[in-house]
Amino acid sequence: MSSILVFCSVQDHRIKRSSLEAMSRARHVAHENGVPIEAVILGSDASALVSEAAQYGASCVYTISNPLLDAHLNAPVISALDAVLKQVQPRMLVAASTEAVKDVLGALAVRSNAAVLPDVASFEWSGDTVSCQRPVMAAKKMAATSTHHPLVFVSVRSGSYEATEAPADGQEVAVPFEFDTASLGITLREIVSQAGDTVDLSEARVVVAAGRGVRDDAGRQLVQELADITGAAIGASRAVVETGLFPATAQIGQTGKVVSPDLYFAVGISGAVQHTAGMANSRIIVAINKDPDAPIFDVATYGLVGDCFTILPLLNAALREALA
Amino acid sequence: MKFCVCIKQVPDVQAAVQTGRMVLNAYDASAVEEALVLNASNEDPVDLVLVGGPAATETIRKALAMGASDATHLVTDDVADSHAIAELLAAHFREHDYDVILTGKQSQDSDAGLAGSMLAERLGLPYATNAVGLAVEGSTLVVTRQGDAGQEIIALETPCVVTCSNDMNNPRIPALKGIMAAKRKQIATQEIVTPAPRSTVRETTDPPGREPGIKIEGEPAEMVADLVRRLDAEAGVI
Amino acid sequence: MEEKFDCIIVGGGIAGLSAAMTLARANARFLLIERGEFCGAKNVSGGVLWGSDLARLVPEYWKEGQGFERFVAHRRLTFMDRQSAFSVDFKSDHFSETPYTGVTVLRAVFDAWLAGKVQEAIDASEHPDESFIATDILVEEVIQEEGRVTGIRAGDEVFHANCVIIAEGVNNLLTRQIGLEKAYVPGDHVAVGVKEVLRLDEARLADRFQLSGRSGLTNEFVGACSDGVEGGGFLYTNRDTISLGLVLGMNDLRDKGKTPYDVLNGFKAHPVVADMIRDAETVEYSAHVVSTGDIKGMPSEIFADGVMIAGEAAHLLLNAGKAIQGMDYAMRSGILAAETAIEAKQSQDFSASMLGNYRKALENSYVLQDMRSFQDAVHLLHRQEMFSTVPDLICDFGRQFFTVDCNPTPKASAMMRAAIKRHASYWDLVKLGLKGAKAL
Ligand SMILES: Cc1cc2nc3c(=O)[nH]c(=O)nc-3n(C[C@H](O)[C@H](O)[C@H](O)COP(=O)(O)OP(=O)(O)OC[C@H]3O[C@@H](n4cnc5c(N)ncnc54)[C@H](O)[C@@H]3O)c2cc1C
Ligand SMILES: Cc1cc2nc3c(=O)[nH]c(=O)nc-3n(C[C@H](O)[C@H](O)[C@H](O)COP(=O)(O)OP(=O)(O)OC[C@H]3O[C@@H](n4cnc5c(N)ncnc54)[C@H](O)[C@@H]3O)c2cc1C
Ligand SMILES: Nc1ncnc2c1ncn2[C@@H]1O[C@H](COP(=O)(O)O)[C@@H](O)[C@H]1O
Repeated sequence: MSSILVFCSVQDHRIKRSSLEAMSRARHVAHENGVPIEAVILGSDASALVSEAAQYGASCVYTISNPLLDAHLNAPVISALDAVLKQVQPRMLVAASTEAVKDVLGALAVRSNAAVLPDVASFEWSGDTVSCQRPVMAAKKMAATSTHHPLVFVSVRSGSYEATEAPADGQEVAVPFEFDTASLGITLREIVSQAGDTVDLSEARVVVAAGRGVRDDAGRQLVQELADITGAAIGASRAVVETGLFPATAQIGQTGKVVSPDLYFAVGISGAVQHTAGMANSRIIVAINKDPDAPIFDVATYGLVGDCFTILPLLNAALREALA
Repeated sequence: MKFCVCIKQVPDVQAAVQTGRMVLNAYDASAVEEALVLNASNEDPVDLVLVGGPAATETIRKALAMGASDATHLVTDDVADSHAIAELLAAHFREHDYDVILTGKQSQDSDAGLAGSMLAERLGLPYATNAVGLAVEGSTLVVTRQGDAGQEIIALETPCVVTCSNDMNNPRIPALKGIMAAKRKQIATQEIVTPAPRSTVRETTDPPGREPGIKIEGEPAEMVADLVRRLDAEAGVI
Repeated sequence: MEEKFDCIIVGGGIAGLSAAMTLARANARFLLIERGEFCGAKNVSGGVLWGSDLARLVPEYWKEGQGFERFVAHRRLTFMDRQSAFSVDFKSDHFSETPYTGVTVLRAVFDAWLAGKVQEAIDASEHPDESFIATDILVEEVIQEEGRVTGIRAGDEVFHANCVIIAEGVNNLLTRQIGLEKAYVPGDHVAVGVKEVLRLDEARLADRFQLSGRSGLTNEFVGACSDGVEGGGFLYTNRDTISLGLVLGMNDLRDKGKTPYDVLNGFKAHPVVADMIRDAETVEYSAHVVSTGDIKGMPSEIFADGVMIAGEAAHLLLNAGKAIQGMDYAMRSGILAAETAIEAKQSQDFSASMLGNYRKALENSYVLQDMRSFQDAVHLLHRQEMFSTVPDLICDFGRQFFTVDCNPTPKASAMMRAAIKRHASYWDLVKLGLKGAKAL
């Protein structure tokens, strides 16, 4: 019987929250269509995470614990997922739209003959049709897209759904997997993690994002302070990442990450469409910009027109007091 | 290294008023730039291939004006999804050998991000996505890619496929001589039939608008006090 | 192998593109250079392109229906005080006949379209590979050798031509660089134009402004629209947008301590205007300098050895109250400059005396003739009375004339006298009236 299979991304020995969000939605869709919801976890942590997947509704969890799958290489992951797909034969494969997922989705779709609905804001399945709403044109438009293909991959933007628990059996099924590394043609040399990668942006409830207006070290410290006070992850615009003041992993937008926290501070960010494409779904947006005509004010819940070097010290003090 | 860059013509997403103007996909422009830089000191080609209607010639000329060598225009007016594009491009690359095939990480209009890795799989080549840096070491291409939690440095044996981020570089603006040379170049054209797409866009709509916000005005101290009060009382986020 | 063009055109606005089209048709080899990412990218004009020259450049352009927004079928001139608006309104089926008397355009669309037409003309010419439209390139210098213009420099690239047409628009740095513009006084001969483009669903827009098919409305405003600052306002209907803006005297703005943005917001909030733009969403805001149309603002000469100045770079513009005419002047001057270049090519003479034919042709055309004969109107328009007293008075009269309050109604002439008494001295007005009659 066909099912919905959810691919759980793992980071820091946990299933990513965005995967659990996708799983929560997949569970609803599966129930509506009367099919089971199952999960697949890859890598050395796989078995240890079965119970977490079950907590969110997976009736069956397929695991492949090969450490090669931890190595950030796409080829083994594609083979592993293809093996699971062949065994499970689901109607859909649902995943969170992380960089690692984006890395394999296209190739996997060719290998296992699937259609792909990438980076969706919502999706559903009824009859022989899987359909979704996906932001296009730098999120200026929504495209209602659908497919009748017998196997469909859906990757879901983080923050599109809430992660809700619904405990299920979660029986582990280890899937046999062999991979010939001789044919790989690709090796990982090193991973460079930059400072400031402590809080995962896409999981943070509060994000403080800096733009080119935060022009120097003093500005960065003010932003850091605001983040410390509010327990926020730090984000950045492309323009300020280019100056080297913030790491590339902090970039939010069309090229960078998609976030939708409860509270988003945009400090010294003009609000170009490529930036807002990654943050316009935040619940509350506070913009601080000295240009009253900056387009960021069009999406801001609260807009403060002024110099961030004047406003941030005051704001930090006021928030420290309010939160004490 | 012999490079070929897959380029696409897309609507100008940045324009405030939609003028119907078409431009070179920004990610592809970065791919062209990177290939030109890597081949700056040798005679190896940086070729182009594009699938699109006759009007896309203008976009090909733009990339040629940057300094690319030769271009193939696979002409079709049909709508294609990433699957169809990858299939067409794969057929092209089965006839033409390159060391490195570059694509953009995604189309600026559809934001799909699939064609590059689909192409690699069809050709059975190793690939990397979301590259922010490239270097050549003998017959190996060293790719720095932006991952979820850091940058991964990956060595790829050639031939290979890489999808490029615009964070890789700032593409050059063609100079007059480049524009003039590009106009005189022959573009190889080939009429093609587009395979059926696997997914279709039924309609596009405006995304749900946000509630209009509030501009808090006044002296900095007043603005801050007002903001903190609102974040607490109205928004309930602190 | 360095190539030498028959002509290099600096600027891909209306003047430059019109020159290019003329050259392409005559099989000349030319290079047109535009600094914007594409032709039209940098242009913010309101605007209505008046007159029939477009039909000369692109015969029967209305058949394809591309490039322009709507044709002008309905014209209105509105005098406003803070609450009221008194309009002179003219609508005629006559306006639906081609060639149209005017078309509304959005320059980002129109210029790009016209550039496409020029490219088609190049492709169809005898030397399709020897003429170029190059965008995203800034001409930094006009090269002069032994007192004559021989080419241009962009970055570290130099190109030579038998003559150069400078069509760089109102901010005429190159014209000044080669010494044709006298001591430059910012503010004296330029005003500031501000404009918003507001989007409204096409069906609603047609309904609201009583338009059918591609017909459109132009509305000029005088009075409270400029909040006491010298200037006037305009509203033009496009296909699914409205262009709304003001042209304001730069010195007067500064003296009165107002920003164009604030004045524009006041204009938008005027009850009469607010009704016209209700529910329309602002999609673009822009500000740009614009010539005042004062003939004294023209460069000392518009040609020299190897060079001609066309369009607003030569301050060719007329704003005598009923319309702004800058684009049509740019078009005609571009055509005439190119025709002179072709003549010069035939006689292989690019000297000042040959290129002086351009000035002669322009003098013989409606451009300089109208600019000269309407100078008084231009000056009149800049008088304080024209944007305060007169509109106030007219609206006051209108209010009396159209009010029915169950009291005995005075005769219109008495109403007029009462209005005049409240707003102006009779004598001043007579003087103004005489001037006005003479000026128009
Ligand atoms: C294909 C493509 C993809 C892209 N992807 C992304 C992406 O993923 N993410 C992204 O962010 N961008 C992206 N961009 C770039 C984007 O178009 C903008 O260039 C970028 O977002 C601008 O960053 P910014 O707002 O920090 O800088 P700017 O546009 O330079 O704005 C700086 C702002 O700071 C304000 N300011 C200056 N000083 C102060 C002060 N002292 N106090 C308060 N305010 C001040 C200014 O008024 C201004 O509004 C992309 C572009 C392209 C073409
Ligand atoms: C708000 C506003 C409303 C207006 N409304 C109307 C109207 O309704 N009707 C009307 O007829 N006129 C109107 N005008 C006036 C009209 O816009 C101008 O008179 C007309 O555009 C002049 O055309 P042009 O070709 O001379 O110059 P422009 O249209 O200004 O073109 C000049 C071109 O040259 C390019 N350029 C400049 N310098 C260089 C360089 N160094 N190198 C390369 N390229 C360069 C510029 O980017 C530009 O594209 C309005 C103007 C404004 C500001
Ligand atoms: N029509 C096309 N012609 C050539 N290459 C294309 C085309 N469409 C997409 N691509 C390539 O695929 C990349 C984007 O993939 P996708 O987001 O899946 O459309 C682009 O950056 C191009 O390099």
